[in-house]
Amino acid sequence: MARDHERHADDPAAYLLGALSELERQAFERHLMGCSTCGEELDHLRPATEALSRSVSPVRPSEALKSSVMEVVEREADEREQPSRPRAATGIRTRLRALVPSLTGRGPVVAWVSASFLLAVGLAFGAVGASLLSDDDGRTLAARVDSVRVPEASGSLTIAGDQTRGAILRVQGMPSLPSREVYQVWIQRDGEMVSQSIFSVGEDGGGAAAVPDDLEGADSVEITREPSGGARAPSGKPVVSVGL
Amino acid sequence: MTLVQAGDPRAFEVLFDRHSGAAFSLAYRMVGNRVTAEDISQEAFLSIWRSRLRYRSDRGSVRTWVLGIVHHRAIDALRRNLVHDRRRATAEGLEERQEAPELTDVEVVRRDEARQVRSAIGTLPSEQSRVVELAYFGGFTHSQIAEMLGTPIGTVKGRMRLGLEKLRRELVEQVA
Repeated sequence: MARDHERHADDPAAYLLGALSELERQAFERHLMGCSTCGEELDHLRPATEALSRSVSPVRPSEALKSSVMEVVEREADEREQPSRPRAATGIRTRLRALVPSLTGRGPVVAWVSASFLLAVGLAFGAVGASLLSDDDGRTLAARVDSVRVPEASGSLTIAGDQTRGAILRVQGMPSLPSREVYQVWIQRDGEMVSQSIFSVGEDGGGAAAVPDDLEGADSVEITREPSGGARAPSGKPVVSVGL
Repeated sequence: MTLVQAGDPRAFEVLFDRHSGAAFSLAYRMVGNRVTAEDISQEAFLSIWRSRLRYRSDRGSVRTWVLGIVHHRAIDALRRNLVHDRRRATAEGLEERQEAPELTDVEVVRRDEARQVRSAIGTLPSEQSRVVELAYFGGFTHSQIAEMLGTPIGTVKGRMRLGLEKLRRELVEQVA
């Protein structure tokens, strides 16, 4: 049993039901790695939550659902089978697509990207492009920084193995924040932002944060300044961004 | 599943045919409208395709894995307020959705299974079934449920645990 078990003793049921907030879920999952008692409780209660998913009456989806899913699946399978197509080229197109909506106004979240941010993109792009050529066993992507709000900052995202296993985001030269604020890490996917973790930086402006979610299909990893404890949705423009 | 993990689209199509009905039904039950439920199902199946190497048979069936991903996606949608009106409906109680008018054999089996599970849920004390359903189908957090019901957070979490424990026992007895 882990030392902080008391604090999480009632969490397994709420976790299985999806009733923890994003930050509570992350905290519980960290606790779970060292607490066999909670692990056993999860295994014990899991059949009940699995049964809940089977309690719903069957409702048939439209045929369009299958065709839209299979169209994407077949396209992606075809792309995998074309070895002559450079992997980097696909990745760069994805990155450019992620930036274009900010200019066209299509994506509300991407539209945050400020002029200064776009300038920084140009400077960082060479490093990002180069990193795309890394081996599939792991790669490091350079971060883009807001050159006005965090002028001294730099950062990188290290993705271990296949990108379904998350990543570590490291930063240097970030401004220290007042005690009522934290930095919060998000994954941006299809214009939506999903919270990953919160962190603060040391006196030297250095820090690191986990990006535990699957990065497959994500457009970027972002850092924003948020109130202490984190926010449900970003309250302002990102100060650091890593295109995927 | 080995072929799916190898990236075979035909094998994935079989997986889709086998589980899309249950996946869509769960999403529909949670969000209450077809368009959002289909969006969630589409997102979920593409996520399943792209993260197919993460599936591990020692952690449960493919169906459990698929429905778990759909459940998470639906909760995300509910919490992003994409289906704001649904929250109120969920808070006011459980309602049955319109079933497919002509059921296939598989759907008949699933309907019967659903009735059995609902019968087990029906044995829970109402204060336990309410928090379990608000959390699982409504996508509410324990603190939102506590505020909604005017009940301490600790009590809500306790009822969740007791509710799942009793539901588990009921299901075991049904099988026995």
